[in-house]
Amino acid sequence: MQQFKALFLKEWRESVRSFKLLWIPLVFILLGISDPIMNYFMEDILKAVGNMPEGFMMTLPEFQPADLLMASTGQFQSIGLLVLIAAYIGVFSRERQNGTATLIYVRPVSFTAMYASKWMVASIIAMISAIAGYAGSMYYTALLYGTVDWMKFFAMLGTYCLWLLFVMAVTVAMSAAFNTSIAAAVTIVIISLGLFIDSLFGGFWSVTPWKLANYGIALLTDSVLLKTYWLTVLMVVGLTILSIVLGIVMSRKNMRQLKI
Amino acid sequence: MEALSNIPWGLIAPLLVLQFVLATVAIVDIVRIHETRGPKWVWIIVSLFVNTLGPIAYFLFGRKNQ
Amino acid sequence: MICIEVKELTKQFGPKKVVDGLSFSLPMHTSTALIGPNGAGKTTALSMLAHLMEPTSGQIIMPNVKDMRSAIGFLPQYPQFYSWLTALEYMEMVASLSNLDKRALKSECKKMLAFVGLEDAMNKKTVTFSGGMKQRLGIAQALVHKPKLLLLDEPVSALDPVGRREVMNLLKEVQEQTTILYSTHILNDAEEMTDQLLFLRDGQLVEQGSLQRVKEKFQEPRYKITFSHENEAQQFTEQTALQTQWAKNIVYIEILEDRPTMQQLLYQLAISPYEVLKVERQTASLEEIFMKVAGENATI
Repeated sequence: MQQFKALFLKEWRESVRSFKLLWIPLVFILLGISDPIMNYFMEDILKAVGNMPEGFMMTLPEFQPADLLMASTGQFQSIGLLVLIAAYIGVFSRERQNGTATLIYVRPVSFTAMYASKWMVASIIAMISAIAGYAGSMYYTALLYGTVDWMKFFAMLGTYCLWLLFVMAVTVAMSAAFNTSIAAAVTIVIISLGLFIDSLFGGFWSVTPWKLANYGIALLTDSVLLKTYWLTVLMVVGLTILSIVLGIVMSRKNMRQLKI
Repeated sequence: MEALSNIPWGLIAPLLVLQFVLATVAIVDIVRIHETRGPKWVWIIVSLFVNTLGPIAYFLFGRKNQ
Repeated sequence: MICIEVKELTKQFGPKKVVDGLSFSLPMHTSTALIGPNGAGKTTALSMLAHLMEPTSGQIIMPNVKDMRSAIGFLPQYPQFYSWLTALEYMEMVASLSNLDKRALKSECKKMLAFVGLEDAMNKKTVTFSGGMKQRLGIAQALVHKPKLLLLDEPVSALDPVGRREVMNLLKEVQEQTTILYSTHILNDAEEMTDQLLFLRDGQLVEQGSLQRVKEKFQEPRYKITFSHENEAQQFTEQTALQTQWAKNIVYIEILEDRPTMQQLLYQLAISPYEVLKVERQTASLEEIFMKVAGENATI
C-alpha cells in the first residue's frame, strides 16, 4: 500500500504539473459545447440568410436534447479518446525507453501497484474530462433545447466513465506490452478502429464493448433493452479486468527491455 | 451585417473564452518549461494562432517530459 | 564475512556470451573495482547483480539476506530522474518503494540529501541539475535504504574533474558503512579507492586480487637510467652484461629476482666514464598492468 501511494503520488504529480488535469478537461468541454452551439447556429444562419424560394419548407430535423448529447458523445469518442490515448500511451514504455524506470525496478517494487497507479491516474483524468465535457454539453442543451431526466443523465455519465476505465486499462496495458509507437498503433486499432468497424457492421450483433457508450445514450430515451445493456456492461468489466492482468504480466516481462 | 448582429454573442462567448484559456495555459507552459521538442517560438505561434488544435498539438507532441 | 558471492555467472545474448562464468566474492566493508575495456561486460554483470537482468546461468548469493533487492543500492552510469519531481520528492518516492518506515522517511531523505551536498537544491526539479548533482542524487537514492551492497556503474567517468573529485570523496565516506562494487575504466580512480580488483575481458575474469597483489604480480620492476647523451647510453648498453633496453638517452634494466641491486648498478655506473643524470627504480602503473591484462587491442 505504501508503494502504491508513492507511485500514485508520482503519477498524479505528473498529470497535474504537465497541466493534463487542466487542458484535457478543457478540450472535452470545448468538444461538448460545440455541437449544441453549432446546431443552434445552423438554424439561425439559415433563417438569417433567408433567400429561400417562396413556399420552401425548411425541413431541418427537430433536435431532441438526447440527440445533442449523442452528438457530443460522438466528439468524445473520436477526438476525445485519441487525445486521452496519446496523453497516456507512454506511461510504461517511455519510462523504460528513457531509463527512468531503471531506478524504480531495482527496488522490491510490485508491478501490480505500478500498473494500478498509472491506470488510476489516467482514469481519473479521463473521467474528470468526460464529466466536464458532458456538463458543458448538457448546460447548452438545457439552455437551447430542453433538459433530460437527470437520473438517466447520471446513468449515462456513469456508463461513459466505465467505458473510459476500459479504454485507459487497454492504453496502459499496451504501453506495458510494447514500445510507445507500437502501443499507440495497437490501442488506436483496438479502440478507434474498433468503434468505426462496429458502427459499420454493428447491426449484426448486439453485445460488443464498442457499443457501451451508445447504449449509455440510449438509456436517455429508453431505446435499449436493459438485458442487452447489462450484458455489454458485464463484457466491458470483464475485458477491463483482462487488460489489467495482461498489463501487469507484460510490464514484469518487459523488464528486460530496460535501458540501463 | 444584419446576419452578424443576429448572432447571439452571449452564447458563443464562453466558447471563445475557453479557447483563449486553453491557448494561455499552453503558452504559460511553453515559457516556463525547461525545453520543448522543437523551438519554443514555433510552439508559441502554433498555440496562439491554431484554434484548439494548436495547444493540443503542443501538449501531445511538443512537451518534453521524462 | 562475505557480503555477496557470485558463482559461474553467465549471460548470453544470442551466440555471444557477454558475461562468461564470472565467479568472485566480496568481503563485507570492502570496495572492489571492476575494471575492463569498453564492452567487456561490466554493465551487464552489474545489471545481473542488481536483479535488472536474469542471468542465463549461475548463482548470486548474499548470506542472511531474504530479498536481495532490498539489500542492494544501484547507480547506473547515466541515472535518469523524473523531470517533474524535485530532488526531495524523488527521494521520498524511492524510499517508500524500498519500504522505509513512514515516520522516519522524510527526515531520512533530507539527511541523505544533505550528506551528498544537495540540501540547498532539494526543492528544485531535477531537470535543472548539473551532471555532478545528478550523480550525487543518484548516490543518495542508492543509499537511502541503507543497502549492504552498493553497485555503481562508472560512477565518475561522465563527470568533469571537479565533479569527479566531489563524487570520489563522497564514495570514500560511504566506504566505511557498506560494501562497494564499482566498474570503471579510469584507473586512477580504481587506484584511489580499492581493496580488490577484478579485471574483466570479453566477459571473463582474467585477473583478480588485492591492489597490492596485482601490482606485485605485474609490476615488473626495472631501473631507468638517464644519460646526458644518446651515444653514452648506446655505449653503456653495448658494454654491460646486464639485460637492457635502450631508447635515446635512456636505458632500462629489468630487475629479476632482486638482481642487480641498486648498489651493484651504481658501482658499475660509477666506474664507467659516462655522465649519468638520473637513476630510478620503477614499477608498472596500474594503467600499464591494465594494458597488459586487457591485451594489446584494449581501448582505455
